[in-house]
Amino acid sequence: MGRENLAGEALILLRSRLCNPKFVFSPFSDSADSNYSKLKFILSSSVTEACNNSVLLLGPRGCGKNAVLELVIEDLLKEYPDMISVIKLNGLLHSDDNCAVKEIARQLCVEHQLLFSKMVSFDDNTQFMIGMLRECGLAHKTVMFVLDEFDLFAQGKQRLLYCLLDAMQSVTSQAVVIGVSCRLDADQLLEKRVRSRFSHRKLLFLPPSKEDLQRLIKHILVLPTDSSLPHDYVVEFNAKLLNILAKERFKQIIDTLSNSDSTCSNLLRFLFSAVCHMDLKSGFLLIENFKAALSSIQRQPKLEGLKDCSILELYMLVCMWRLEVREQDSYNFNSVMKEYRSIHDSFQTSDYYARNVCLRAFEHLLERELISFMDHRGHNQSTEFRPAKLLISYHELYQGLKSYRSCPAILQKLIDRER
Amino acid sequence: MGKEESPQVVTRRTTRSSSSSTPNSKNLETTKSCNPQPMTINDLVFGDEHISFDDLISSLPGRRSQIHELVRLLGPLNSPTIPLFIYGGTSTGKTSVVLQIFRYLNRPFVYTSCRTCYNPRVLFESILNQLSLHRKDVGNGYSSAKRCERPSDFVNLLREALLTVVNNLKGHLENSSSKKSIGRISGKMVYLIIDNLELVREWDKSANLLPFLFKLYAILMLPEVGLVYISNTSPDTYYSDTGYIEPIPVYFPDYTEEDLRQIFLRNQANQKLYSSFLEVVLRPFCRTTRRVDELSAAFSPLFKKYCEPLSDLGISPSEEMKRRLFSHLQPHIMPSLNEVFKISSRPSSEGESNKEKANRQGCTQRLRGCPAIDEIDFHMSTSAKYLLISAFLASRNPATLDASLFDSTGGSDNRKRKRNSSVKSMEHKEAAEQELLMKGPGTFPLERLLAIFQCITSVEEYTLEEEEPGTNSLGVESGDSGLMSDVLLQVSSLCNANFISKGGSCPLDGSTRYRSTASEDMALKVARSLKFPLSKYLYRR
Repeated sequence: MGRENLAGEALILLRSRLCNPKFVFSPFSDSADSNYSKLKFILSSSVTEACNNSVLLLGPRGCGKNAVLELVIEDLLKEYPDMISVIKLNGLLHSDDNCAVKEIARQLCVEHQLLFSKMVSFDDNTQFMIGMLRECGLAHKTVMFVLDEFDLFAQGKQRLLYCLLDAMQSVTSQAVVIGVSCRLDADQLLEKRVRSRFSHRKLLFLPPSKEDLQRLIKHILVLPTDSSLPHDYVVEFNAKLLNILAKERFKQIIDTLSNSDSTCSNLLRFLFSAVCHMDLKSGFLLIENFKAALSSIQRQPKLEGLKDCSILELYMLVCMWRLEVREQDSYNFNSVMKEYRSIHDSFQTSDYYARNVCLRAFEHLLERELISFMDHRGHNQSTEFRPAKLLISYHELYQGLKSYRSCPAILQKLIDRER
Repeated sequence: MGKEESPQVVTRRTTRSSSSSTPNSKNLETTKSCNPQPMTINDLVFGDEHISFDDLISSLPGRRSQIHELVRLLGPLNSPTIPLFIYGGTSTGKTSVVLQIFRYLNRPFVYTSCRTCYNPRVLFESILNQLSLHRKDVGNGYSSAKRCERPSDFVNLLREALLTVVNNLKGHLENSSSKKSIGRISGKMVYLIIDNLELVREWDKSANLLPFLFKLYAILMLPEVGLVYISNTSPDTYYSDTGYIEPIPVYFPDYTEEDLRQIFLRNQANQKLYSSFLEVVLRPFCRTTRRVDELSAAFSPLFKKYCEPLSDLGISPSEEMKRRLFSHLQPHIMPSLNEVFKISSRPSSEGESNKEKANRQGCTQRLRGCPAIDEIDFHMSTSAKYLLISAFLASRNPATLDASLFDSTGGSDNRKRKRNSSVKSMEHKEAAEQELLMKGPGTFPLERLLAIFQCITSVEEYTLEEEEPGTNSLGVESGDSGLMSDVLLQVSSLCNANFISKGGSCPLDGSTRYRSTASEDMALKVARSLKFPLSKYLYRR
């Protein structure tokens, strides 16, 4: 087997690891005070003691709330076969009560091999759900409701939440409601009648610490010795990798990465990009790969947009900025054009174009979203008359002009002078 | 240049089934439509002929590093991938590059554009149709395979459809490995490409839909699915209040001058001649715009001009010849730099202006800004011209002045009053000018437009017919009835041509208000063609 094939195989392995959140978050399951253990304790006790429960998993996006929950549920399904049925809802899809109840009924039907009809009314579905909850309770079967994007269920009248939590007040039912949300105040969004029925158990998921990040990187990138890959390749790969991970430069890269966003999902994207940069000829990860990945992940879209502008578009931006400096409360294309003309009159620039060409440049800027209209009203007004504003700061404009390859000196001068 | 452009435009605007019909496979398209065979899984890959990596690089000049990056991110066969987010300005080859890469990789994919699929339902159904290999035709009444409106139904149906496709692909793989069949499809991954994502922000309920689309990968939890988003605007324009899991960004910068040179040199019969032409024009034009579509529209008439002194287009120009050609072209460069939209002679410009229209939105807005030379270069009926002028007057003049401008005593008196009023407002001139710049033309109800129309037509008619100022205007009441007959029709056609825009209704009386969008030059030109003394009626502040 050639080196390239080996590297390709290793690449596929690494990529599938990175795309599998269950694998990524599995190392957090060992320690006793981890969220994994706490959640597992809560859920397994309500399964074994046949009681109702509810819990909220809160934390910023990309910290593994869902992945840990998946891991726990998978374990529980193995430990207590035929005692748990899981119903999964997502606030993005089922925030409408009608839709949610229908989806619950559908999943219950699939779970228990019943026939599901699309045409059933909301009330019938609710009745069916409550009936099923009772039946499951009698059969000592726990129904777990996983509500992803929990905050979106709290919009509107919260009929679904009330219905679920109210059904759980009776002794006959046996259900767990697990809410997952990135809003830390998700429980404050609940109505009083819903909140009083909620158990207020909350688990907080935080972005990993520096040590955890290092552990995570090692966990993901180190190749297993017991795979189909030849042993000596794996050993060499791992040795080189560990060498890189120990380097000071690598630590700096990780620091810059986690300074802006230290969540796991950001790390995963970074590692994915780094792995994709791996040179298949040599078959090993290099520190350059990580550097390249960092710059491709951390982008500055506004500066990129400025670099794409033509000279005339830069003129338009500088004119708009001059108008903003003068604290004109609102301005539109016509006033920009006036400013552009006055710049031309006082400096005799070579870039003086007709009004319609400038209007086109103005529209390009709108498309690039470097500028935008002040309001969304006045769609019937034509472009020239709608008040506009800059979407970039002075600093960005200054940087952009400085790094622009052939920026006219006059623009630099104008922006320097009116600082 | 047109040749080079057309496939790009086609791929950008249409779904794959038609975009695969590149010019040389046109006959294939026709046979396809007359005997519709049931679609197979092979229809999920691009086109028919395979291209090599070198072809891929050379067919898309200036995009080498982006192609490399994308191929790396898509990875080797059967490797799962995190969603990708491709962004960059208009006409930077995003869609073409992605589609050509999939053609090179021969991997099955589903392409949908949010421009053609203009609401969630159409978008969802289009994806499902393609996945379930369903083709709309007469037999099924051009209906979709599944009716699907809500995201929740979509996820269930999509998961089902994807699983079937993935299973089919797996079966296909086994078959092809055992029987060596000629199926070109490779891998068991399916990719969903969603183009023009920025348009979703304008849709209803986009606040929920966008996070949903971004989270689709996490919701589906199928490692065999790859997601590719293509957008005009950068990822930071999509931030919502509770955020989303961000995809991996891939940036397509605008073409540099050197890239543009290569792009324009493609498909040129005489490379040397064209490159000497580009040396002259490319740099000045790049200062205003770097978009391929706009540049190519500007270059094609210029190149014709450039070639005019040449008898033989096949020659390679010498230095001296280049100088001569340059001096021939030079007077044309400046005017052409200063126009965005040219209608030269009727037959040849037809296709060009159509293309222009397809390429840009809002070109109708630009139309009125176009500096036509001396007279209006399109046909308009006399009553439409009068209507245009009256709309212009109604927009520019304050309504309170109508009575004094259009009373029966005629034009001479008007002038005096107008001058008086302009003297009065002398001190406010600056402020008023600013206001005009900011607020634009005013709005007016239909009744006012018709009243002004009647006034100016009646005045005109008797000055033309009787040449005698001072008679009572009641006498011509019968004369203008012919003009008034289909005036409302003319109003609506002027609205459609965007000379008059229909605004929202007035909050007080609820009637629709109109606004003239014609520029002053335009109105003056129209007035001149009618020999109508427009400046006499114009209120100057």
